[in-house]
Amino acid sequence: MNLSIMWDAVPKLLAGVPVTLQLVSLALLFGFVLAAVIALMRLSGSRIASSFAATYVFVFRGTPLLVQIFLIYYGLGQFPEVRSSIFWVILREPYWCGILALTLNTAAYSSEMIRGGIQSVPPGQIEAARACGYSRFLVFRRIVAPIAMRQALPAYGNEVILMVKASSLASTITLLEITGIARRIISQTFAVFEVFIVAGAIYLVINFLITRLIRYAEWRLTPYLRRPA
Amino acid sequence: MALSQSSPDNLNPSPVPGAAVVVEDLHKRFGKLEVLKGVSLVAHEGDVISMIGSSGSGKSTFLRCINLLETPDEGRVWVNGELIRMKEGRHGAVPADARQVDRIRSRLGMVFQSFNLWTHMTVLQNVIEAPVHVLGVPKREAIERAEALLEKVGLAAKASSYPSHLSGGQQQRVAIARALAMQPKVMLFDEPTSALDPELVGEVLRVMRQLAEEGMTMIIVTHEMGFAREVSSEVIFLHQGRIEEHGPPDQVLANPQSDRCRQFLARNL
Repeated sequence: MNLSIMWDAVPKLLAGVPVTLQLVSLALLFGFVLAAVIALMRLSGSRIASSFAATYVFVFRGTPLLVQIFLIYYGLGQFPEVRSSIFWVILREPYWCGILALTLNTAAYSSEMIRGGIQSVPPGQIEAARACGYSRFLVFRRIVAPIAMRQALPAYGNEVILMVKASSLASTITLLEITGIARRIISQTFAVFEVFIVAGAIYLVINFLITRLIRYAEWRLTPYLRRPA
Repeated sequence: MALSQSSPDNLNPSPVPGAAVVVEDLHKRFGKLEVLKGVSLVAHEGDVISMIGSSGSGKSTFLRCINLLETPDEGRVWVNGELIRMKEGRHGAVPADARQVDRIRSRLGMVFQSFNLWTHMTVLQNVIEAPVHVLGVPKREAIERAEALLEKVGLAAKASSYPSHLSGGQQQRVAIARALAMQPKVMLFDEPTSALDPELVGEVLRVMRQLAEEGMTMIIVTHEMGFAREVSSEVIFLHQGRIEEHGPPDQVLANPQSDRCRQFLARNL
């Protein structure tokens, strides 16, 4: 094991951290909005909306993210209609293709967590709000959403971590995030073991911090689950 | 009786002017089972009406029809002289105006058997929540009022606790304070002590007795016969979806006319 190669790789790989974090945070942001829409469609009671949502989840949860990335980046570009549409501005950029694929993927998983969270809200607490004269929307905003969010948070923390790791697949479409940079260094130095050890350690540190952050958020949001002070 | 009532209120005056709640010929079916077969009730201001009857007699369903937590299939309900307008939906009767229902509900305090406090909020937050978000009461004013109400139910010291940290009796007293915070015209109690350990029943009944003495209009579904006898102005005995007997508590509870009421009381006193 060549320690000096490892040492040299650290700053180079760290330069990829912002790209990784951007991919993950933008995908989580867009993905959460999409997930909420999908979950509400699923629970809407409309058969069309509900089966559309179910199909969406089935497709994006049931196919590999890598295949989705390839389809979006390499696949869509072969249609002239796509290349001449306004979407080409986004779809020709590997950066946005990566974010798009991660977004669509995380939305499928997150929508199921949101749905589970919403369904876990005790009906009595909803009824109590209705009895006070809350409109449906106000019940959702003040009672259902806060309780569902707390319920879904632990599972969602897992999803965030999975996303950090999944973002490494974006290296396959030329993006220079942590894994992409690692692969480039390796192609020059052939130090596969050393460089990937450092890359793996960086992911580990990121996920450690995320785990802590999620746990702190859980702790802050659920004082009622703790023993009274 | 026709259910479709979409004409303006002034064409549907309450048959008992001035009454707080009037219910006329209420029917409710769950599938093929008719739970309520034409129940009527008049609650004047300051009345305390206890509804008794064995489980399955329809008394809770009746209470829940008053604020439309259940939708009656037939019959009419007036709250403060305002008719709750209904129309024909795809699967039977539905409220004609959801906003009217929300408004009427905000004037009816409801206390549930299982408390139904909002678990993610503190006691104080539970009590100010609806006044702030439904009535638009300024937060500071709502807090002042909530603190006074918590004092009244004996829980001022628990304002910053969470419901999960309270006993059942304490939770139910918070639930009463939460309902009172809306300054309701009428309080509806749906078996408020049935989920409580026997030694916790007294503290809840004490609060309810105090409310009755202050002149609050109350409709109470209960199994507490002693309490019903002490505080009620009227007792209604429901049997299989019909009013079998009603009248002043001394008559219904001490000297019932119907056999069924006598049998029920023999089992429950």
